[in-house]
Amino acid sequence: MIALLIANSLALASLLIMLASGLALIYGLRDVINFGHGALYMLGAYLGYTVAQVSGFWLALVIVPILLAVVGMVLELLVLRPLKARSHIEVALVTFGLGIILGQIIIFIYGGVARSVEAPAILSGSLTLLGLSYPVYRVFLILMGLGSCALLAIWLRFTTSGLFVRAVSQDPSVARMMGINSDRLSLMVTSLSAAFAGIAGVLAGPYLSIDPGMDVVMIVDCLIIVVIGGTGSIAGAIVAALLFGFVQVAGSVFLPNVAALVPYVLLMVVLLIAPGGIGRGRVLS
Amino acid sequence: MTNRAPIQKNLRDSAMTESASSSWRVPATGAAGVMLFGFGGLLPAYLASDFTLKVANEGLLLGMLALSVAFLMSEAGLVALGVASVYGGAGYLFAIGMSEWGLSPTIAVVFAFFALIAYSGVLGALIVRTNPLAFMMLTLAAGEMVSHAVMLDAVHDYTGGADGLVVNFKGAILGVQAADFANPRYFWPIGWTAVWLIGVTLWGVARSRLGATLRAVRQNEERMRFSGFNTYLPRVIAYVLVNAVAAVAGLLHALNTGFVSPESLGLGVSTNALVAALMGGTAGSIGPLAGGLIFAFAQDEFGARGATQLLTGVAIVLFIVVFPRGVVGGVVAVLRRIAPGLVWLRGKA
Amino acid sequence: MLKIEGLSVNYGSLRALTNVDLEVQDQGILHGVIGPNGAGKSTLLDAVCGRRRPTAGSVRYRGEDITGRSVAWRRRHGMSRSFQRTSIFPDLSVREQLVLIAQHLGDDRLDDIVRLMDLGAYLDQKAGRIAYGVQRRVDVALALIGRPSILLMDEPGAGLSAVETLRLFEHLRELVSEQKIVAVVVEHDVEAVFACCGMVTVLDLGCHLVTGVPSEVRKDSRVIAAYLGSAA
Repeated sequence: MIALLIANSLALASLLIMLASGLALIYGLRDVINFGHGALYMLGAYLGYTVAQVSGFWLALVIVPILLAVVGMVLELLVLRPLKARSHIEVALVTFGLGIILGQIIIFIYGGVARSVEAPAILSGSLTLLGLSYPVYRVFLILMGLGSCALLAIWLRFTTSGLFVRAVSQDPSVARMMGINSDRLSLMVTSLSAAFAGIAGVLAGPYLSIDPGMDVVMIVDCLIIVVIGGTGSIAGAIVAALLFGFVQVAGSVFLPNVAALVPYVLLMVVLLIAPGGIGRGRVLS
Repeated sequence: MTNRAPIQKNLRDSAMTESASSSWRVPATGAAGVMLFGFGGLLPAYLASDFTLKVANEGLLLGMLALSVAFLMSEAGLVALGVASVYGGAGYLFAIGMSEWGLSPTIAVVFAFFALIAYSGVLGALIVRTNPLAFMMLTLAAGEMVSHAVMLDAVHDYTGGADGLVVNFKGAILGVQAADFANPRYFWPIGWTAVWLIGVTLWGVARSRLGATLRAVRQNEERMRFSGFNTYLPRVIAYVLVNAVAAVAGLLHALNTGFVSPESLGLGVSTNALVAALMGGTAGSIGPLAGGLIFAFAQDEFGARGATQLLTGVAIVLFIVVFPRGVVGGVVAVLRRIAPGLVWLRGKA
Repeated sequence: MLKIEGLSVNYGSLRALTNVDLEVQDQGILHGVIGPNGAGKSTLLDAVCGRRRPTAGSVRYRGEDITGRSVAWRRRHGMSRSFQRTSIFPDLSVREQLVLIAQHLGDDRLDDIVRLMDLGAYLDQKAGRIAYGVQRRVDVALALIGRPSILLMDEPGAGLSAVETLRLFEHLRELVSEQKIVAVVVEHDVEAVFACCGMVTVLDLGCHLVTGVPSEVRKDSRVIAAYLGSAA
């Protein structure tokens, strides 16, 4: 029973990690929260649906992130960069507005109905691990989640650009003095963040559902995670995502009547105990 | 030897009270204000159609919400994305108070109001310490939390779930009957008066020491602490104040429409309040009210084409990037350039 | 007035201050704090004024242990601090911010401060728009409001020319002796410190080297070694 709980939490957390770390990266770098992140996720999901219909799931998993990365670049070049001089709140609000617009465009194109995506044959069905039967697709999700964490960690730790990202997150002014081109870095981070949102969207298809409200649900979840984890702290975001996933899944099992409220209670409890979030983030004023 | 008296006196006549240096301005503006208030309150009821008045009433309520959002933004630099939960919540508590607990309408109103004051006090105490971005995120989350709470099966008997709740109003509040509240012609003066009272109150608070403290905290919270100020309490007070305004708006809404639903406390309403504030201009009190009216009519127009949400998104982007001062702010700026000495309106250049 | 005992401040594994003992009681003179880079001067001020929680040790102010007190409390009880990186209110006019603080702390003698800091010409300008040197003076002026008993100044001359720094120190010396304030001034400009301060404390690598009158400290071999060592 516990094992199932943990497995389900990990599966959900995998998606959340991909999304929340993207959000945390942009925040750490630019001090901006992209409120349209949920809409990017939704775009990834719907695009994934279309591509999967035409050429199958696996191709969707490759093409959609690339498309989303382009969207990310557009976001960076046409929105974030020109608005660099504006206050962070204003930029956040602009991303909020753009998120709404994107969501409306998607609904306009696809109609306001939910869609379902079939998992590819290899990933459907269940396999038996340690005497327990578990859906293959969720195992796949967990592997993807682990994989992206590992990739992220490797990138941050061992590459020059990753080092730069860490430096700028810690102290933007000093980093700039050291000649780090934070504009180019931003471009990379924003498109990466969008690409990850795209992957998460495609992966979500067979696991959750694709519906017109998914952008709001996801951005709220991500925001909660990012705040709990300490905004800007990627490690914190990952831990928070795991915690969130567990709490969400446990809530739906043990407290089904109030399951929807459990994440919010978690948020309030964390805020009470640690007003700055779990990680070494920059939430407190 | 420096002459002490003049500097001392000038420093005391301080910027706290931006006193008009010319003595005719205050009475003139006061008179203009009273006339505007009087005509605005009485004329539309005679001139406009029922339908126009209906939309205009929505505009008034939206204007109240916009006033609350705008005040917090311009004074404390905080964006509250969850005002709808108090707005709708007020209606729900009012309805539940009467139908479940048999409270009289007046008691129910008072109960709902104070319950929400308490709620915003607790919530504010929790979240106001965070930086403005985190605050924005948390208000969004809190708003969604209330939306979910209302839809829970556990409280379905109380809240009616997705179907909403009819407001069972028997009797009168301050002599005004249920039917009167629902009548657009009757409601307009009530709403108009309420908006003006709220607008003047918020304007007064902005010019008080609380307002000056909030604005200074917004610019440099650390220095304020290092100057001996409690920087936490003023922000909590401001948060409770704006939620009180939202509660009043919500009660009026419930009285006017006779119905509450999950939509009334949803993200859509919070976003509309934000857009109305941005459209009108967040500085001062006239902007948000104008924004509320403008947006209500705009939504009505776009609603016919099914594009209200799109309008919302576009408006947000437009009124931050291109027209950050909003309609009223922009008009004031133009007027100031045309007639620099004549226009006396509080606002930021 | 101010007694620091065994004060240690660690940033993670970095030991910014180690076991510092210091007593400052001379009213009416400037007490300078100098030391090579990384000596922990700013950290000392941060710990004393409450901005940083010390890892160990205590701060006693007028005999009372204030180690747990908030920054705002300390300010209201006469311990004031100015900042190395100018910290003022850019959208308020000079007048507005001075008056705001003055009203809160109950000070009605702003004209003295305005005269001392030479801000008369800038009163109605927005603080964000005036020259950096003037902004520094506003920063110091904000710290002077409310007749503090003890002034902690963090490199008040930062960003100012040598001449302006000296002039600022002269003004401070005048104010401090007039109002019998205890003033602790962290400063990089060693010459200005030796010229204007009645007492000097030298820190090096987080440790307290020596405290004494300028003429003696100047000649102290440990001090010379510390500065030479850092120059090497």
